[in-house]
Amino acid sequence: MTDVKNIYKPLKAKLTEVIDESPLIKTFVLVPEEKFSFGTGQFIELSVDGIGEAPFTPSSSPHISDKLEVTVMRTGYVTEIMHNLKPGAFMGIRGPFGRGYPVERFFGKEVIILGGGCGLAPIRSLLYALEHIKDKLEKVILCYGSKTPADCVYKPLFTRLNKIEKFEAYRTVDRPDEGWDGSVGVVTTLLNKIRINLENSVAVVCGPPIMMKFGTIRLLEMGYKDEQIYLSMEKNMSCGLGKCGHCMMGEFFVCKDGPVFTYNEIKDTPDIWK
Amino acid sequence: MQYLSIRKEEWDKAVEQLLLSYTIFAAINNEFGIDYEIISPINIGKISYNTPKPATPLKSLFLPVKENVTSDPSLKKQRIIIGSPNCDIQGLKILDEIYLDKDFNDTFYREKRENTILISFDCFGKQEHCHCSAYNIRPWATEGADLSVILIDNLIVLRIITPKGTDFISQFSLVQALNDENIISAIDKGHTATESLLHESNKGLPDYQATGRIVREADKEIWKKYSASCVSCGACTTICPTCTCFLLIDKPGFEKVKQLDACQYPGFERVAGGEDLLYELPIRFRNRYMCKYVWKPQKFNSLACTGCGRCIEACIGKINKNELFMELAT
Repeated sequence: MTDVKNIYKPLKAKLTEVIDESPLIKTFVLVPEEKFSFGTGQFIELSVDGIGEAPFTPSSSPHISDKLEVTVMRTGYVTEIMHNLKPGAFMGIRGPFGRGYPVERFFGKEVIILGGGCGLAPIRSLLYALEHIKDKLEKVILCYGSKTPADCVYKPLFTRLNKIEKFEAYRTVDRPDEGWDGSVGVVTTLLNKIRINLENSVAVVCGPPIMMKFGTIRLLEMGYKDEQIYLSMEKNMSCGLGKCGHCMMGEFFVCKDGPVFTYNEIKDTPDIWK
Repeated sequence: MQYLSIRKEEWDKAVEQLLLSYTIFAAINNEFGIDYEIISPINIGKISYNTPKPATPLKSLFLPVKENVTSDPSLKKQRIIIGSPNCDIQGLKILDEIYLDKDFNDTFYREKRENTILISFDCFGKQEHCHCSAYNIRPWATEGADLSVILIDNLIVLRIITPKGTDFISQFSLVQALNDENIISAIDKGHTATESLLHESNKGLPDYQATGRIVREADKEIWKKYSASCVSCGACTTICPTCTCFLLIDKPGFEKVKQLDACQYPGFERVAGGEDLLYELPIRFRNRYMCKYVWKPQKFNSLACTGCGRCIEACIGKINKNELFMELAT
């Protein structure tokens, strides 16, 4: 038979650095044994040898293929073990899978990004991608909310973004601490503070399901059309290939047809916010 | 329809010769009923012809329950499968759409598919729950298999379906064109009688085209009622010729084992945070029907239920999907 890539076989990658982002979140810096390219918003299956694998969207720039950063929240069996890994360990990568952000459709537009919690991981990759093409964009505005100031990931990112021409970044927290002097409230409150040319804008929403739901509702109230809203969906993606069935969301396989959908594509699918 | 024939004794000898170069699986009549077994010179005489149907579906010979998918997919020998009813042959089509997908083709499935001669049999008679005709499938194959075989009056009659079937049969020097009108007429009568049996016993079943709407519009009480005796054992999906969901299990050395999974198992869609869309039994039970009759037909061209009836036979909760459909259709 002809030599065809085995879709199930992981590519080994060396863990070179582990960055503590928040009490529950770490970023793993990986150097794959071969160059590894992905489109922003696509996801990978990251495995711990002999233990298991889980889906993550890389948080690094899609323009770098010799190094990959993956931000992982400790939330289950596999991620618990990942959080105990030390630099020097080898992990497995399969992918990239699915449809990422169609950045070419954002040309000439204002891009409003609504992020919550660990949802900033895919968004960071998107921001790198948008920075790369900023000459072709009108404006990029990031509105990000976390539960507490300590839960905010990539803290230096906000200062850096605000120094880039055409970029604006805003943060809010649900529960402030003593040192916090920024906005307080859910992430949608930040939308009241920004100026948008709605007609010439697209919105990207990524975060926990409850935040995605109310973020989308608010954007629709503001006048966004269904096809202007891009959602990054999360289900139990396992094979990544549209075959194993675990991430079926109505007629869609989130792993293959998504994970990025326009709201227009999935608005009639039941249980999208669960 | 063009038929070829060979005397049964000669056919058995030829099959024995083929064992030198092929691994042969066939439907075998054993003490528990009919099922696929590997053929050796000892059991060639036990091959079952024209009696529906092997207990396990044909898919199990293409998608094993467990398979190391990081190993070498190559087969040691080419394979012949004898004795698949048309419901199973038609069931392979959706497997082809999923596993031979141009973007992500599964080399393990493809290797088996490309290196298998598929010999169907025409069903003469039916089992209690056979209902292929309700889904516009005839009880004999005219496409999908390479050949179909009929045993009649100590004569093996072959119907060639594909060029691969023509090449295969050229190895049999004693095969002749069948011109005996009496035998051809007996085959036609057998087909007609089987179809009549199927139509008669499945009169109340809705046509496949209508099943999607019926399932989509069904009241949630029906799912509660029919799932009441479901124990989430997954027998229905495991035995189904078109259910293909699987789990990837990690083994040391970055190896992956692909293991058949079932949406009827609790936790099938559970995510790391604990959210589980299919947590409640009636919703999980409904999921299988939505997948087969609503979502898969939207996504694929092939049938996701071929009316083999195995899910009814395998259910330890005695859940009969045909009764469910008849209740929904009224």
